[in-house]
Parts: sequence; C-alpha cells; structure tokens
Amino acid sequence: MRGLRPAIRRFGPGLLLGGLAAGIVAVAAGAAILFGGVYHTGADNPHLEPVAWAVHQTMISSVRHRAKREPVVPPATPARLIAGAQQYEAHCISCHGGPGVARAPWASALLPTPPFLIDARTRWTPRELRVLVAHGVKMSAMPAWEEILPGEAIDDLVMFLEFMPRLDARRFERLRERVRAMPTDPLMASGPAVSLAPLPLRETQPLSRGIVPDPSKPPNTRP
Amino acid sequence: MQSRHGRSAGPDLIAAVLLAGFATLVAACGSRGELTPARGDPRAGAVAITRRACGSCHAIAGIPGADGRVGPPLARFASRKLIAGRIPNSLEGLRRYLDDPQSVDPGNAMPDQGLTDREIRDIAAWLESRG
Repeated sequence: MRGLRPAIRRFGPGLLLGGLAAGIVAVAAGAAILFGGVYHTGADNPHLEPVAWAVHQTMISSVRHRAKREPVVPPATPARLIAGAQQYEAHCISCHGGPGVARAPWASALLPTPPFLIDARTRWTPRELRVLVAHGVKMSAMPAWEEILPGEAIDDLVMFLEFMPRLDARRFERLRERVRAMPTDPLMASGPAVSLAPLPLRETQPLSRGIVPDPSKPPNTRP
Repeated sequence: MQSRHGRSAGPDLIAAVLLAGFATLVAACGSRGELTPARGDPRAGAVAITRRACGSCHAIAGIPGADGRVGPPLARFASRKLIAGRIPNSLEGLRRYLDDPQSVDPGNAMPDQGLTDREIRDIAAWLESRG
C-alpha cells in the first residue's frame, strides 16, 4: 500500500495522458472510417485474413447457439425430399450449385462467395442448417427464406440438403428434370408444395433409390 | 558538403544512372514475364480459388477455410500423376478437366465453373508453387 501512492504519483499522469491520446486516435480512426470513406466496402476487395476469420467465426458461433432454439427438422420422406429438391431448384441452385452443376457466374463475384453445399451435412446439424436457411446470414447475400416461404418448405430444403451427397451428377440432373417438369410452383403456393400423384414413389423404398432412378438400371415400368 | 568534393560527384552520378538503368531493366523483364502466355500468377490463383469456392469441396492447404470433403484434397497436387485418376496431370490436362469435368469423369460432382483461361493458368501456377 505504501508503494502504491508514489507509483500513482509517478505514473498516473503518464497513464492518463496515454489513455487520452489512445482515445483521441481511436475516435479519429472511427471518424475516418465512418465519414472519411477510408474503408473499402467494395466486394472486389477481400477482407484481411484475420477479419475474414473473425466474421466467419462469429457467424458459425451464432448459428450453433441459435440452433438450440430452432424447431427440430422432422424425418425425411420421399415426397418431402422431392418438394425440397423443387425448392432448391427454384431458390438455391443459382448461388450454391449442385453435384456437377456450377453456380451462376455472379456467385463468384459475391463476397463472401456462396459455398457449394454437397458436404453441408458434415459441417452443420439439421437444426443449424435450418437456422441458416430460415434466418439467412447478415452481410452476405444469403436471404432469410422464412420471411417468404412457409416453415415446412424450409424443413423440406434441409431434408434435401441432408440427402444431396447421395446424388451423383447424372442422378441430380434427372432429379432436376423431374422437378422442373412439375406443374406447381412451390414459391407461390402456400398449401402443400407439390402434387404427389404422378410420382411413382413408395414410402417403403430406400430414399437413395426411390428419388431418382439410377440411369444404369432399366426404369420401373410397374404401374 | 558533397558538392565541394568535385572529384566524388562524377562517379556518384554515373553509379546512380547505372543503378536507375539496371532497375528499369529489371522492372521491364519482370513485366514481360507476367505477360508470357504460359505463365500464371500464383497470388491471383489463390484469389481465384477462393472466389470460385473450390474449398467447399476440396481441402486446400494454404487457402483459409478450404476444408471441403467432397473431392480429393489438393495438397501436393503438382506432384500427382493423374487428374481425376484418368488424364495426365499437366497444364493441358488441368485445362481440359476444368473446362469440362463431366467429359473426363462422367457423373462426378465436379462442375464446369466456366473458368477463364487466365484463371486456369493462375490456379495451375498456385498449385505448382505448393509442390
């Protein structure tokens, strides 16, 4: 205690002055960014590596935290997987591509650039995927899809994302052809996403074989 | 001070002129090298790899966040003998594969991303620089 008072007397003014100077510099830097335009917000100017890491890590932590309160995604059925594939075709494929399918040219001009999602299920749990799809990602081009789509459509999409790594490029292309030929646009419909009547699917079929016919095998001609 | 030593000003001037000339020559050679068609720029390659989201399917040591588990890791790609296990690994082979992966290995998940020739050369240069 006895040593403290002289120390304050000796270093106190210096510390105060230093703190004041640091504060002035911080305010000046803040003003330069906010009003001086020194920070480059253009998407052709990548973040510094630590900034990129910090932004990405913040997103990952936020999604993981929020997933605890997100509704649980129900188990997939063939019908819902088809509905999810239709949603994916309508809303996701241009930015995220698919097995053997490139993203639209503009996707590589986005910062952050949207990832391919074939291994999304190894990065995220279904509930975390639901957080990402339903609520989007701030300061990226990822929209909060639950703002314009019903909750079931979000679940369908997550089911399809979980299923996607089981499709090779040819089977994915056949699935795309099938959902493109469907009459109902799930975007505009608020009720059940698609009519299931014309689909030769049985709930008991294994998902991996029921959704898209394997091109190497003859088509099932049974009614 | 220096101007009073008349004898040392001459050689200094000559040295300066020679140095400037040499620097110009080096700069000229450098820029000529960059324009050589076969040569890509590794740093531009790293940017292209990031922008094209290669890392969402490939683990690529040296590209932050590139930890994909869909295709093969690209570590030491340059020392690999074959691309996609099918065609010889060369700039020509890489170009052919990136231009149309389905024609090399039908059904595989790798898409034709419409890479420009410049991007392909830069990416090849980056992979080369990683051994």
